[in-house]
Amino acid sequence: MRFTIFQESRKGSRKVNQDRIAYTYGRDTLLLVIADGMGGHAGGEIAAQICVRLFIERFQQEAKPVLRNPLKFLQDTMLRAHAALGSYAAQFSMLETPRTTCVAVIVQANHAYWAHVGDSRFYLFRQGGLIAATKDHSKVQYLVDQGLIGPHEVISHPDRNKIFSCLGGLVDPIIDLSKRTPLRNGDVMVMCTDGLWSVMPQNEMSTWLTSTPILKTSPQMMREAEKRGGPDGDNLSTIIVRWGPETLTDDTATTTTTTDTLNLGDFHTEIDKTVTLTDRKGTQRDLTDDEIERAIAEIQSTIQKYRR
Amino acid sequence: MPVTNQALPASYQLLNYRVDRQISRGGFSIVYRAFDETGAPVAIKEYLPSSLVLRTEGDIVRASSAENLTSFRYGMKCFFEEGRALAKINHPNVVRVLNFFRANETVYMVMRYERGRTLQQQIQMRQDQMSERFVRHVFMHLLNGLREVHTHKLLHLDIKPANIYLRTDGTPVLLDFGAARQTLTNTRPKLAPMYTPGFAAPEQYRDPERLGPWTDVYGAGASMFACLAAFAPQAADARVQEDHLVSAKKIWSGQYSDNVLDVIDWCLRLDPLERPQSVFALQKAIRDIPTRKRKLTFLGNLKRVLFSEIGA
Repeated sequence: MRFTIFQESRKGSRKVNQDRIAYTYGRDTLLLVIADGMGGHAGGEIAAQICVRLFIERFQQEAKPVLRNPLKFLQDTMLRAHAALGSYAAQFSMLETPRTTCVAVIVQANHAYWAHVGDSRFYLFRQGGLIAATKDHSKVQYLVDQGLIGPHEVISHPDRNKIFSCLGGLVDPIIDLSKRTPLRNGDVMVMCTDGLWSVMPQNEMSTWLTSTPILKTSPQMMREAEKRGGPDGDNLSTIIVRWGPETLTDDTATTTTTTDTLNLGDFHTEIDKTVTLTDRKGTQRDLTDDEIERAIAEIQSTIQKYRR
Repeated sequence: MPVTNQALPASYQLLNYRVDRQISRGGFSIVYRAFDETGAPVAIKEYLPSSLVLRTEGDIVRASSAENLTSFRYGMKCFFEEGRALAKINHPNVVRVLNFFRANETVYMVMRYERGRTLQQQIQMRQDQMSERFVRHVFMHLLNGLREVHTHKLLHLDIKPANIYLRTDGTPVLLDFGAARQTLTNTRPKLAPMYTPGFAAPEQYRDPERLGPWTDVYGAGASMFACLAAFAPQAADARVQEDHLVSAKKIWSGQYSDNVLDVIDWCLRLDPLERPQSVFALQKAIRDIPTRKRKLTFLGNLKRVLFSEIGA
């Protein structure tokens, strides 16, 4: 797989950042995940963190070397995160279960699969045009669908923050699953929390991201969005992936991520750009028990495959 | 008496295999003959580096120190490399891996058991010189196997008569990929690969960056040399200091075809770039030997003259 990836989370004008973002990839499959935690105290942050960590851990367990059923994986993991938040609240006798939105994307074999809960979004741009997007589980989106308000009223509506599906809520989440969507080189995938999309319309986003190298314009776009958020600006987060080799810049070697060099079973993970879970330079590291098991499983399956 | 790793005892039940006896012991492993549940013989290689003493009794492998455990686990990676590479190769002239598993806190590779003897034993047993036909037959087949190995981006790095097995039907099998890819010597000297003097190419001693197909070509050339001489050529590290190796062409001129002798000398060039750069190039050179215009020995020549006089 070849792609260019950018992720950033900014606090905006809030005291804490309740957004969590992460991506991880093996040789043949990629996971992107964003969670926007809700609720007072530390609840929102915890919820988002639990959700993202669960996604990464399950992904690394199941992607051997690819996910058998990406959509099922997305759905199962969201349900498990939902259950985990419930038991977390019970364990610490919390009055209110920590809650979070979530949007997650899997890319494998040149196809994208995504799922979401709440109002964190996914956009897929091709040649500057939007070809797929998630639909928020929010009151305002419902009102738009019913024709009661126009799309331009969404941002200023008093109920704009009300969502009817989330992880950790009292009722089971409504999880929207995408279709299996083929990707072409040059496609741009954007995931973002409401802090970004509420100040950056998707057509403007497309202008920022689809004709210039994303590693150059994405930070500019985030700075601009934070500025627009002003003194009341929400946390804003994004993961942006340009699929295929970078063709908009000469400096492709440093910008394009190639997964072919990873060992089978190795993962590269980035959480919030600051925390790295796994050590990519694994050559000098000892093998863990898990890695031994994986190596043996890989050899055994190769033996089976080449048996005549 | 130095303490060594203890081999598994006879009749030891290892997964679904029953250990029969130890066949050989190398720097990184012990190889056993065993029988599977159907009674068919297999060769089982146990990862157990001799430089780290890990088992003085019983069956469980235990690291004696944290540092040893680190080296042990690190070396295990190389064992996996070997398994990974061999698993993909299904070639009549390369040893076949049948299974790979973990037990006793170490790992095991099960291979097809071959009947016969090593080329090394063959060389030591023979009273008279090996015929060119035999040498050619063995190496043409062996090089087919080696070519397959290189196709899978793996270097053997320990080609020598002791690692070339001759089945009872005379076809060779390339054994022991234990040295394969073990090129990271500087950081962990405890598990430094053991090169076989005489068969290891000069770049294996000093220049691991320059390893390539030509490194195995050197080993193949040295093995051919050993078939003719019944001893190994001068060690490459010594040759770099002061080259005493007499060319095959000089030693056996007239007894073997010039082409075979030229090929051996070509493989044994100290500069990696001056050797055949691939197994295919080497095979082509061997194939190119004009069989009809074979240079005759003095006796052969005499025979031909006599026959022509009588017959015509």
